[in-house]
This record gives sequence, C-alpha cells and structure tokens, in this order.
Amino acid sequence: MDTNQSPDSDPPTETVSTDGGLPVEATESTESTLQRWRRSELVKSLPFWLPATLLVGLFVYGAIGWNFIISLTDWQGLRRVTYNPAEFDLDNYFEFFGKVAEGGLLGGPQEYWAFRNTFVLLILFTVVALIVGLLLALLVDQKIRFENSFRTVFLLPMSLSFVVTAVFWAWMYNPSSGMINEGLRLVGLGAITQNWISDPQFKLFAVIFALIWQFSGYCMVVYLAGLRAIPTDQYEAAKVDGANTLKMYWRVIIPQLRASTTSAAVVLMVFALKAFDFLFVMFGTQPGRSADILALMMYREAFAGTANWAYASAIATILFVMALGVISPYLYRQYKRGAL
Amino acid sequence: MSDKHSQFSRRTVLKTSGVAAAVGLAGCTGGDGGDGGGSGTENEVEVVHWWTAGGESDAIQALIEGFESEYSDLSVNNNEAPGGAGSALSTEIQDRVLQDNAPSTFQIWPGGSLQTYTESDVLADISDSVWDSEMEDAYKEGVRDLSQDDNGNYVAVPLNIHRLNNLFYNVDVLDSAGVDPSTLSSPADLLSAMETIDAETDAAPMAQSTQSAWTVLQLWEDVLVGEAGVETYEAVLESGVEENEDAVRSALQTVVDYREYFNADAGSVAWDEANNDVINGEAAFMHQGDWAAGQYESSEGFDFEDSWDHVPFPGTEGVYHIVTDSFVKPEPNPSPDATDAWLSYVGSVDGQERFNPIKGSIPARTDVPDDAFGPFLSRQREDFDNSNAQPATIAHGTGVSPQVKSNFEEAFASFAGEWNVDRTYSDLTDAF
Amino acid sequence: MSTFSALTDNRPDWSRIALYATLLAMIAFYLSPLESGLMTSIKTQAGFQQTSPFVPPLPGQFAIEPWIEAFGRLQSGLVNSVLFAIPATILSATIGSITAYGLTNTKWRGQALVLMVLIAGIFIPYQSVLVPLSRFWTIVDLGSLLAVIPPLADRSELIALTITHTAYGIPICTLLFRAHYKSIDSSMIEAARLDGATIATIYYRIILPLSIPMFAVALIYQFTNIWNDLLFAIVLISDNSNDVVTMSLQKLTGSMVSQYNIQMAGAFITALPTLLVYIVFGEQFAEGVAGGGT
Repeated sequence: MDTNQSPDSDPPTETVSTDGGLPVEATESTESTLQRWRRSELVKSLPFWLPATLLVGLFVYGAIGWNFIISLTDWQGLRRVTYNPAEFDLDNYFEFFGKVAEGGLLGGPQEYWAFRNTFVLLILFTVVALIVGLLLALLVDQKIRFENSFRTVFLLPMSLSFVVTAVFWAWMYNPSSGMINEGLRLVGLGAITQNWISDPQFKLFAVIFALIWQFSGYCMVVYLAGLRAIPTDQYEAAKVDGANTLKMYWRVIIPQLRASTTSAAVVLMVFALKAFDFLFVMFGTQPGRSADILALMMYREAFAGTANWAYASAIATILFVMALGVISPYLYRQYKRGAL
Repeated sequence: MSDKHSQFSRRTVLKTSGVAAAVGLAGCTGGDGGDGGGSGTENEVEVVHWWTAGGESDAIQALIEGFESEYSDLSVNNNEAPGGAGSALSTEIQDRVLQDNAPSTFQIWPGGSLQTYTESDVLADISDSVWDSEMEDAYKEGVRDLSQDDNGNYVAVPLNIHRLNNLFYNVDVLDSAGVDPSTLSSPADLLSAMETIDAETDAAPMAQSTQSAWTVLQLWEDVLVGEAGVETYEAVLESGVEENEDAVRSALQTVVDYREYFNADAGSVAWDEANNDVINGEAAFMHQGDWAAGQYESSEGFDFEDSWDHVPFPGTEGVYHIVTDSFVKPEPNPSPDATDAWLSYVGSVDGQERFNPIKGSIPARTDVPDDAFGPFLSRQREDFDNSNAQPATIAHGTGVSPQVKSNFEEAFASFAGEWNVDRTYSDLTDAF
Repeated sequence: MSTFSALTDNRPDWSRIALYATLLAMIAFYLSPLESGLMTSIKTQAGFQQTSPFVPPLPGQFAIEPWIEAFGRLQSGLVNSVLFAIPATILSATIGSITAYGLTNTKWRGQALVLMVLIAGIFIPYQSVLVPLSRFWTIVDLGSLLAVIPPLADRSELIALTITHTAYGIPICTLLFRAHYKSIDSSMIEAARLDGATIATIYYRIILPLSIPMFAVALIYQFTNIWNDLLFAIVLISDNSNDVVTMSLQKLTGSMVSQYNIQMAGAFITALPTLLVYIVFGEQFAEGVAGGGT
C-alpha cells in the first residue's frame, strides 16, 4: 500500500518520490484538476497525521528549542526566568567546555570526567554489546533445539526497567555476599574479588557490564533478523570456495550484517546517552567522578537542590547535539535509500 | 541515595510499613492531595516535612497534636515528602514556589540552605510576628544566627538540635582493648587508639559507611574541628579552603589514615547498618550525629553507659557541632496568620518538649524542662548549655549554600573510594 | 529460516555439545541476576547474609515477609503506574497508528520530511527536554484546571505524565505501524478508493482490522517502555501520593539499603507486569524491539 513505491497505482502522474520537494508548478495549467485532487488528498490526510505531529512538535522540538533558549540565560534558583534577548549569551557553554578543557591525564573538574565517562560508556558499551549480541545470534542461529526459549531468555533483561536491573546488579556486585564475588570465590578466584561498585577503578566498568547484560539480547534480535535475510546460497558458495567456518563468517557473513550493525549501534548509543536511570538508582545523584556522566550531571544541576537551570539546560543541549550527531547521518542515509 | 532521616530506625520502619501493608489497597489511593493547588483554607496550615520514618514520624505527630490542642480553631495538613534527606522535599518546594503555590510552611535546614530562598525573596520576615524577645532569649546565639537572612531578619524557627561531633563506642570492646576514651584529646589520639583496638581485638576499630558522600564529609568536618579548632573550621566555611590549606589537607589525610580501620564492608553498607556493628560488638567506635543513639536505645540489653557510651569527638570538647531543622514562612502564604501561629508553636517550650524526646534530639530552646529527656539527651543538653561554640555544618546544609554543599558532596563522593588527598584538595578549592 | 543446516549436519557431535554447553552457560549468566534476586527475596535477613545468593533458602531461613513488606511499600506506586501507563500506552499506539496511516496511504509530497521529524523524536535524550518540561507543566497547571473535578485534580501530575509519555511514544508507534502499513497490499485500498471510500472509511474498514497484530506489538512495547521509565516521573511528580512504581522502588532501596531480601522482592514486584507481558507476548515484544531500531 505504499504508494510511494508503487507508482503504477497512480497512472496519470509522474512517479511520486519522497524527496520532500515542492509540487512541480509547471504542470499546474494542464493538470489543474489533478493538482486540486492531490492537494485535497493532502488536506484530507491532515487530520490523521497533523495532531500527532503538532503534539510531538510541541513536546519534543518545542521543548528542545525552549531548552536551548533557557541555556542562553543565567536562570538559577527560584527567581522567575526572564527571556531578554539582549542578555542571551553562550556563557554556560563556555563554562562547561572551559571546565572540560581544564581536564587532563591527572584529572580536572567534574565536567571533564562526566564528559569523558559519557564517551567511554558510549563506545565501550556499544562495541561490546554488539559483539556479544553477534555471538549470541550466531549461536542461536545454529539450528538449535528450543531456539525460542533461548531467545526469550537472552532478550528478557531488555523488558526490565533500569530501576529493577540496577537493584539486581547492586546486589550482584555486593562485595561480601553478592553473586559476582561469591562466584569468583567458588571457582577459586577469590583473589580477584573487588568492591566492584565502590572502587573508582571498577565503578564505570561495572555499570557498563550490567548494561551489556541488559542490551546484548536486543543486539541478538537485530543480528538474527540480519542473518536470516542472508540468502542460503551465499553460505553454499563460500563452502564451495573451501573457506573454513571462521573465514566464511569473517568474509561472507559479517560484511552482510553491516546494516544490522548500524541500526543496532545507533540505538545502543542513544541508550548510552540516556543511561540515567541505572546510575541514578545505583549511586544517587553523586556517583563520584569515576562514574559521573552528563545525563546524571544535568539532572543533578537542575533538580537536586542547586537549581542551576540554565547550566543544566546547556548540558542538556550538548547531550542533544551528541544524540543528533549519532542519528542524523543514519537518518540521512535511510532517507537517501528511500527507506523512510 | 541513603538518607539518615528516612532510615532512622529500621526496626520502626518495619513495624510501620507492616501496618501499612495490613491496611491493604484501601490506603493506596488515600493521598492527602496536599499538592492540589491551594485547596487549603486560611485556617489550615500545610506543613511539608521529610520526617517519615518511625520515631521521627511519631515526633512530628506529637508536635501537630500539641499545636492543634493549643490552637483549637486551626488544623494541620500533614504533608510528608520522604527521601534523600529533603532532596525530594526541596524539589517539590522549589517547584511550588515557582508556581506561586507554596505551602504554609516547610521543613528546612536553617543557615546556608535558606540561601536559595532568601536570594529570591520568598521567605517572610518573621522578626516581629514570631520572634518576640522571650523567644530570642531562649535561643543561643549560634542558633539565632542561623535563623536570620543576610540582613539580620529572622526567617526561620529552629525546632530541634542534633549534635554531630559525637564519638560513640562499645564499652566492652574498648575495655578488652584497654582503651580509655576519656584520654583521647585529638584526632591523632583516636588513630592510635584504633591501632591498639585493631591489635587487641577482632572488632573493626571504627564503624563507618563510605557508600555515600555525607558520612565521609561529616567525619572530615569533625576531624578538621578537632585538629585545627573551631576558628579554622569556620574560616573554611566562610571563605574556602585555600587560606587553610595545611589544616584541610591534614584532616583529609587523617580520614585516609582512619580508613585502614573501618569495617571491611564500609563501601557497601549504610550508616545504620555500620552502626549495628557497634551494637553487636563487631566495631569499637562510631562517628555519627546523635540520631545514631536512637538505634542503641531501641536495642534490647544494650544500655547507655553499661554497653555503649559517648564522648565528644576527640579534640572537639566544648564544641556543639549542630545539625538543626527549622520551619519557615514562604511568601505569598496561603494562611499567613495560621502559619505565624505554627511557627510560634514550633518555637515554644511546649512544642519542643513534645517533639524532641521522641525525635532523639535536644530542644533548640535552652529553657525546656529536662524531665522528658533520658540520661543521654540530658547529658547532651548539659554539654550544649556549657558549649562555647556551636558551628554549622556542610554535610547538613547549615554552614554553606546549597551550591557549595553540592560541590563538597561531589568532591567527597570521589574522595570516598579514591582516598586521594591531593585530588580532593584540588576539588575543594573549586568548591566555593 | 535456518541458514546452514548443510554445514552443521555432518559435524561431529562434540561441536554440538560444545554449542549447547556454551548456550547453557550463557543462559545461566543471563538468568543469574534474576535467580539470585529471587532466592534472596525469599530468605530471612540471616538467611541471605549467611548463604550464597544463588542457593535456595535453608530450612528455617525461608521467609515470605520480604514480599509482603515490599508489596506494602509499592502498592500505591503499582496502582499509580497502572493508572497512567495504560492510558498512555493506548493513546500513543492509537495515535501512532492513525498517524502512520495518514503518512502512508495518502499521496502528497513532503511526507518523508514529516516522517523524519517524527522518527528523530525516538532518539531524543529525555534530558534535553527536562527543564522546559517541568516548566511547561508548572505553567499549564492541570491541578487548578481540573479543580472542579477533585479526583482528577489530585491526580493531575499523573495526567501530565500520561500526556508526556503519549507525546514521546507517538514517534516509535508511528514507525512500527508505518513499517506494517507499507507491507499491506495496496490493491485492496485502491479498489476501495475507486469505489469512492473516504480516507477515514478506508482506515476504519480496511486498515484497522489489518493492524491488530501490530497493535499487539506496539501496545506491548510501549507498555514496557512507559512502565519502566523513571526519569519523567521523578521530574514531573512531586506529590508522593502520586509516586509511580519505579519511584517507589527507588525510594524503597534508598531507605532499606541493607535489606536486600526486601529490595529484591520489591524489584520483582515492580517488574512483574512487564515480565508477565514479556513471557506471554515475547514474540511481539521482540518485534517491537527490532522495529524500534530500524
């Protein structure tokens, strides 16, 4: 029913494309009735998509714009915010990036750490979750028995709230009687037990590990769909080539999964930028510099007593721009490919 | 995440919530609608506070009952905002103040915490309507100062006072180690006492929670007072750490040294759980505000002076490091006269006599009769009356602005874990 | 759907054994937080302190009290979560379906642009709208607007939360439905169109019945998302009688730091609705999850 891709269903017109371009005016004189009809099609469809678009426009884009304007003010505390364009400036951004720039190997202000940790989380989490998800998908794809049950279990953590998984993992990581240390002791590795979530060396990695547990099932689902879209004859061809299994995966299968990887990576990165709930439940608003991230810092500045609204809004805008940096190339490519 | 107020006594928490569970689903939609946007009347005082757990909930209830019997034409809308030592409350209040929908009165740490509100001119001057000379005479100067804004106008009425600079101990553990706490006169003495305890007994020399920043922060505060004296400490509150770099660093280092003697699970337990180690004889000392004593007193067979006892934190004799709660009158106020009546009652002998014995704190007034207070609180009151300094705190919001407090917490959240004096010192220089 | 049965058929058995062993080890890993949580939740305080977290309670250390205790703390949150999550789920799925229809079935240019604007909404970090959102719901004071209907006025924060979640749920629902609608055979619609059916009639008569499977996907996926959220709730809800269940659980863990049995029971109670939905409708959830990424 996608008329954009089935122009034959609309014979009298030129091929309709979704390039968002303006109607071709030149044809208007000759096809005025048709044009009118088409325009009325637009008009008739308005009630269907316009309310939602307005709602989303207001709550999402309106709010983002408003947030940006707030970030230009110096609104703080319980004063009313005043929007005076003459006083708008980028001071909050200068302050933030100034503090980030102060950081170095030996440390720096909390902003530097939050910024750094956000990137560490973003990259490490995304890469490892993709790898684990791919491995799971490959394992599940071996024509196994009870495939559904396996898939169900791997995806299960994804259905849980961050609040719930943070509670579970706080207990897993408990140094004296948590599962991780108990398990290590059980297999004779008692020497490497740690205070996983209070030792600054491990804090962030403990968080990333738990998040991978939660999201790798999602990657598995995406990869499984990708794997099953690969035609069987390609496997056969590779086999005839004499490639061994590993080589075949590396040369034939993995490259075919690029689209799955991209879309899963985008989702994971966006989740990593949003990974607030988990840290908030595990550490409160003060996780210490070793596990602070921008999402948490933004909340702390605005809502944890200090009421630095404008500064928090600036951090929020930075997060938004980061998310935009992740998704816009992706969306643009999808758009170019006509996948939208 | 953890909060001294809401987990004051787990035993009572269990009891109360057990009842709540028994009440069943019927209770679950029974919100008081306190946030319903000015639904109250001129004769109803909406009181927002964070005292929700066991003993403290009973204490505020007693205060409300006393108020309602004294002012029979007024009533109280008791609006609890639990969680995070008031962080949930401050969010709610700030929201409502921004909406011009402030409650009649709310609980707040006086002093620095008021700054957010006084800067925005949303607290009424109650110098004339509430603080009469009789009341002024009954409060000590340190407490009166905290109740005023920068112009010297009274804006808050303190209700209770907790002491922060306590060193609690398990008598048996100290006896078996041969340590006499009365001989400890400096934080360094405490360190060597802990060495002895470590060598002589199986107990952890000091019960501590390093899970959240405030317990470590308050320990550092009292080490600083103990090592460098009240003047230095107050200078740090006033103007930052840089002018007293040596003292600040030395106190940080002492805390790092103490850390060797903390319970092994300090990083994953809350303060009240660490406190159980003292009760069980698994730990010797505990530095904590005197709300910790409530746990001892509700432990069967664990008696004051026989099983547990208390000295001021070494080096802080004569100091009463105060943690205090107060009520304020936001403007515009939905019930101005009734709020004044409430504040006057909060500042009265009767109100404080009802509230404090249950809360486990001493009255903010000095002229409340002693009868209702047990031996421990009576001793604390005596210390308070004889104290020559009543400094404010960072960890409990009275000494610095919310922003500075937040910066300190940020620094100490990293300190607890890294135990790096240089880094923390450099964080603290940015705190002001 | 299997990819290379031919490759696996003639392998020695031990590689199949290794495969299953690996899979079972992974299963053990994925379930371990839940298993240790479940076991801990039915132990007494002494029980979970003395035994390993993954072993069942010893005789005499079994306790149901943690569940009762946790339920007592969470029940009002559960009710509030049901009150806001179900309307928000239904609203966002319904509006998403209608919107997707309006952007697929009809012929006008610029659809892709509208669509892209909507889809980008899926990826917005909530942080970037929190401050304006809290301001917005302060200015649009639902509490006073609804003052004439006291039961609603008392729940005005939940209504604000419902609307907010609806707005943020529409993009993903639109995307899910549109993928579905694109796959519907267009000849039926063309036939109806030639018969003079209006757009609304076509939606109601043809599209809606065909959307039922996708409604299952969207409703399940959205319900899980909305139920699980904490951030919007902690920003928009200040009256603790309106706390949703994720907030209640967070407060419970904050006030019972060392009572892991109660914490674990609380976590299960909070997760129960989504777990049940997942166990019963796992396929639909997987579809929603996969759809959300494309």
